[in-house]
Amino acid sequence: MIRCPYCGVELEENANYCSLCGEPVRPHAAGNHLSHLGSSKGKREHKELTEFHRLSGLQKRMIFWKISGIILLSGMLIVFVIDLAGNQSLTWSKYPLTVSGILLVNATLVAFWYKRSFLLLLFSFLSVAILLVLLDIYAGNTGWGMQLGIPLLMAAYVVIHVFSVLIRRTERKGLNVLAYSLTVSGVLCICIDGILSLYSREALHFGWSLIVMVAVALISALLLYIHFRLKRGTDLKRFFHI
Amino acid sequence: MNTKSHHIPETEKFWFSLDNAAKIFPAIINKEVTSVFRLSAVLNRPVQIEPLRKAVLRVENRFPYYKVQLKKGFFWYYLEHMPRHIPVEVDDQPCCRKFQRGHLLIRILVWNNRLSIECSHILADGGGGLEFLKTLLILYSKACGCNIPPEYDVKEEDIEIPEEEYEDAYKRYFREDVPPMVKRSKAFHLPFPLKPPPRFRPLTAILPLEQVKRVASEKGVSITVYLIAVYLYVLQEIYENQGGLNKLRSKKILRVQVPVNLRNIFPSRTMRNFSLFVMPEIDLRLGHYTFEEIIKTVYHQVQLETDKKLINKNISRNVGSERKIYVRSIPLFLKSWILRMKYYALGTSQYSGVVTNVGRINLPPETEEMVSHFIVVPPPPNKMLKINCGIVGFKDKVVMSFGNVTISDEFESRFLRFLRDQDISVEIEKS
Repeated sequence: MIRCPYCGVELEENANYCSLCGEPVRPHAAGNHLSHLGSSKGKREHKELTEFHRLSGLQKRMIFWKISGIILLSGMLIVFVIDLAGNQSLTWSKYPLTVSGILLVNATLVAFWYKRSFLLLLFSFLSVAILLVLLDIYAGNTGWGMQLGIPLLMAAYVVIHVFSVLIRRTERKGLNVLAYSLTVSGVLCICIDGILSLYSREALHFGWSLIVMVAVALISALLLYIHFRLKRGTDLKRFFHI
Repeated sequence: MNTKSHHIPETEKFWFSLDNAAKIFPAIINKEVTSVFRLSAVLNRPVQIEPLRKAVLRVENRFPYYKVQLKKGFFWYYLEHMPRHIPVEVDDQPCCRKFQRGHLLIRILVWNNRLSIECSHILADGGGGLEFLKTLLILYSKACGCNIPPEYDVKEEDIEIPEEEYEDAYKRYFREDVPPMVKRSKAFHLPFPLKPPPRFRPLTAILPLEQVKRVASEKGVSITVYLIAVYLYVLQEIYENQGGLNKLRSKKILRVQVPVNLRNIFPSRTMRNFSLFVMPEIDLRLGHYTFEEIIKTVYHQVQLETDKKLINKNISRNVGSERKIYVRSIPLFLKSWILRMKYYALGTSQYSGVVTNVGRINLPPETEEMVSHFIVVPPPPNKMLKINCGIVGFKDKVVMSFGNVTISDEFESRFLRFLRDQDISVEIEKS
């Protein structure tokens, strides 16, 4: 009997590798035809590839935040200086400055509130809403930011959030994901159609979006049927046992 | 007694509903509170991997109902057959890791001379897990050339698997005419700060059986009662050593949850969960307790609570609530949320710690020769409980394992110091 140098179990006399952990057990084993397998300990150490892999999630997010901050702030400074030097006031640079500022706010939210999804979503929505209102003001303040931009943004945020929750909670992902995304697109189309009609005609009217919704509903139903019909081994009796 | 037999073919996708005790676990499991317990056999020499693999193949044929995965139904979780081999892995990962979805709920781990099984409480309790480990050890020793006497009751392969082995034994002993148990008040919890994840860190102490027996018999009680009393005594010390404000804020009931193997009370051969709890307590509002007073009160409470009629009351409470049609027809996502709330509000808050004693393990003589001692590691405690304790006896040793999720080892230090003061030699095992 010989012993594995890593996990310490006893192996057959003729073993080259430990059948439990994969460690080579003979000095010459590393040179034989199985040497490409390497030692399991080596593999485990190799898994910890770089310094970056050893960082925690928070540390990685902090790095992302710092890099984003440096890029955005330096970009903002450059466009500000160029605009100021060229026109002696803020003109076209208002747009990239505002967009970059909002991007920086969102990067900060992701870095610090990554696990507080509700707060992250709420403040992200507020910041983008402010962006839309500012863009409206820059373009002559016609009021589309408040009346059209924010409702559309709200609909998009709610629908995308519902979709992401649905995907997170789905155990077996397949055609069902496609069905959900189609349905969510359909719902978003209905929201867009309704909001646009309210804005332009001051009355709720659904047209093209209903055709889209019916089409995606049919396709989604078909996809879901195929997905759950093919769900192996799940008969209704066990799934619905009470 | 039900002695029906049923052959479970490998090809048939059989399934079971979860037993009464298992129903809570899927709702509360997370990365830290895994509901996974570990049973280890420390051998006198390194594990031989080839005989072990042969033994594992045989043992999994004998326990086909352990080859299941957890699946989500609309109203309940259920266990569905999974035609995979029970994994034999190198034991170099953290203890009592959570089982991933789509995997079996049991694993076998090996490191040097330590052979362990880790099992989810969804699948079995300590009694079932221990039976599995004992069978594995016997088959392993057989594969190593040991002789197993014919009179020794070993679970044989190639027999019809008795249905009783995978039944929900709670349902068999549930009586509808028994009134349910009363709710208990909230209990004291240890004030130590938590470790950052991964939190769970077990500590193993080996005690000579003779010495523990001596001190317990001097007090006229069993080893279990003696160690529960020490547990409560140490909790009282920690409570009394708190600062003034913390002491005022703390609950003054010290209560320990002690699992009881119901197979010793009701005849059942089930390999799934079949245990309940007794909860001996002391009320510090009545003043300081001496150790003798604690021993006395624990002894009588354990006697009283292990009475068959009271156990019946407990079973009726647990099973009765599950059998109500309005409970059964709540969709699973809501049920899980309610169970989680109830577990933290009514379950864990009612006791200060857990002491689980699986008792003394007996093996055939030649198999016994191969084993030095056993270790029982209960599932990692949650943020409220913080510490638990597993006890097992084998040959001339009692092995205690403290599972701790805090930065402090004050509880274990005080506990072991108390035992040393009673002239018990404590040996800490380095893992």
